[in-house]
Amino acid sequence: MLIFAALPRFGSILIKMMESPAFQSVILKFAFAGYIGATGLYLAHAVGRKPLWLKAAFRIFLIAFGLQTLCLALRWYSAGFLPVTNLFSTQFFFSWALALTYLYFEIRYRIHATGLFVVFLTLLLLGSALPRDPALPPLIPSLDTPLFTWHIIFSFTGYALFAMAFSLGVLYLVQKKLQSDLLPPLATLRKLNEEAIFLGFCLFTLCLILGSIWAHIAWGYYFSWNIKSVWSSIVWLFYAGMCHAKFIRRWQGTGYAWLSIAGFFVVLFTYLGIGLLMQSNHPLE
Amino acid sequence: MLQRIWSTLCSLKLAIILASIATLLAMGGSLIMHFNPEVFGNLDATTLSGWSRSLGKEHPGLSSWFYATGILIILLAINTACCFIDWLTVIKARWRKTGEYLIHLGFVLVVIAYFWGSLAGSRSERNRVGEGEMIPVKGMPGYYLRLDKFEPLLNERGRPIDMINTVSLLEGDKVVKRGIVKTNTPLLHDGLVVTPASFGRLTIGFELLLPSLGKGYRLTTGDAIPFADGKRLVADAFFPDAVRRNGRVFNRSDNVGQPAYLLRLLDNDETVWSGWYFLGRPQPEALQGLGFNPVVRRPVYRTVSYLTINRDPGSGVALVGGIFISLGVLFALFSFYYKRSRGDRPEIE
Ligand code: HEM
Repeated sequence: MLIFAALPRFGSILIKMMESPAFQSVILKFAFAGYIGATGLYLAHAVGRKPLWLKAAFRIFLIAFGLQTLCLALRWYSAGFLPVTNLFSTQFFFSWALALTYLYFEIRYRIHATGLFVVFLTLLLLGSALPRDPALPPLIPSLDTPLFTWHIIFSFTGYALFAMAFSLGVLYLVQKKLQSDLLPPLATLRKLNEEAIFLGFCLFTLCLILGSIWAHIAWGYYFSWNIKSVWSSIVWLFYAGMCHAKFIRRWQGTGYAWLSIAGFFVVLFTYLGIGLLMQSNHPLE
Repeated sequence: MLQRIWSTLCSLKLAIILASIATLLAMGGSLIMHFNPEVFGNLDATTLSGWSRSLGKEHPGLSSWFYATGILIILLAINTACCFIDWLTVIKARWRKTGEYLIHLGFVLVVIAYFWGSLAGSRSERNRVGEGEMIPVKGMPGYYLRLDKFEPLLNERGRPIDMINTVSLLEGDKVVKRGIVKTNTPLLHDGLVVTPASFGRLTIGFELLLPSLGKGYRLTTGDAIPFADGKRLVADAFFPDAVRRNGRVFNRSDNVGQPAYLLRLLDNDETVWSGWYFLGRPQPEALQGLGFNPVVRRPVYRTVSYLTINRDPGSGVALVGGIFISLGVLFALFSFYYKRSRGDRPEIE
């Protein structure tokens, strides 16, 4: 009886403890270490082909992803909004979206080391975010809307899928040259690439629509002529074109792989290049 | 012949060519846009048609890519519309493509809506309006916007974080809509969208000390100061930065420069004099001997709100287009996985 009475108190103490930055910092480091360990094992398996390594790699990746998800949920819970408004938070969230993308393809198609480029990106982003200040910034009122939250969620998951398509495109070209049995057959790579592009396009489309509705109610117009919005439209038009290119025989396979690579550079420029090279008046710059 | 034209209009290859050229043009154009802010920097503050008639026309070299991209997007929309109509004719056999074709229809609607809004809409930024004041709505003759109440929302450190405007939209004297305008909460009515931009304060007069009366008075437009023998001095207008030119008085700016009052002297409710009084300068003759020797104590402010008032008659159609695209995406995702689960592969052309 006494135990049941104490449970809610215990629960609230547990949540308080988990909300502390020190706790989150520790689980995030564990997640990072887990991703590194899983990557190592996937690579080892690609060469050594030991089923046990593969099993261990997948389990460790799942645990690492679980820890990162817990950390994201705790930060969301503490802040009361999805924290994606400073550099640490965006890197953290994008790395989570990349890990989620990898997990999706791994669970669905058992791609193992084929998707590791995306995991490398996860490591790169998370690794460079870890030394930064994880403090939760206060939310400015214009960002305090579910339109913004979903705009961001769809944008990063879309970008993550475009990153996956890029790596599948590169591997397609490599496999075409090498015909290696370490990599999946060309037909599989092509199929996965098309799926990544289609999924990415769908999510990115939803991102743009929600962003436009938000812009309309916040600033009175649904399309802004700042360079970031123009490039987001370019990304959208490019991938809309790609959704069709797969229906044209000459563009299937190799052409599609090259387009996936080119598309990712367009995405990189939109996400990083504009921020680094130019001043934009997009609200998130 | 007609058949050939129609199949060209419906062609997927044409769509890819148009989209590719539009993408490349926009890539180059975005750089031109970025490095020529004096031409393109103000695009959000005007409609495209307004911009084309002014800056766009003055800089044909810099703006040609803009028009070319616009034309390509229109052609792409026509291409997409034909493709959609073509599908409608075979819908019975190809109803499973509903998701894909909702995306196509949505795109066509968004393009139509955007160009409609650009041609028939209007934009105006930083419309200044004080509490109780009314301003005409640009682009909607006969309509007025009244600010009934304004309240800035401050955080614990006293920094403003939001602006709560209670506004009424009037058609002539009739209120057609009333609502709160604050961050992410616009007033919407028939394509009209009113959003808050910022707020500030205006000097609308001064608190004056009159040593002869031994009292202080707040003097803003409409206020009066009573003197002996039933005389009163009424302020009919106040300019914070006045200048006299060719015998007339103008206000140069909203900053306090040379403040001036338009005063009216009443003797038992009968006007005996009216004229401008520039604070700090010698008094008009008519006021001498009255005991009006004011010393400025402090300014009196009024908070004003700056509102963005845009009208985009196409925004409703754009929203419908956006909803079609979103639904289409959801359906297409569903059918994509359905196809995959049956092992279908795209092998057309
Ligand atoms: C910018 C405008 C357009 C957008 C955003 C768009 C988008 C899409 C999307 C997302 C798909 C689904 C692709 C997939 O299943 O992976 C699709 C399919 C398709 N689109 Fe478009 N499209 C556009 C313009 C056009 C035009 C102009 C045509 C006409 C030629 C066209 C013809 C088709 C066809 C034939 C399909 C294949 C449907 C099927 O059989 O699966 N699209 N489009």
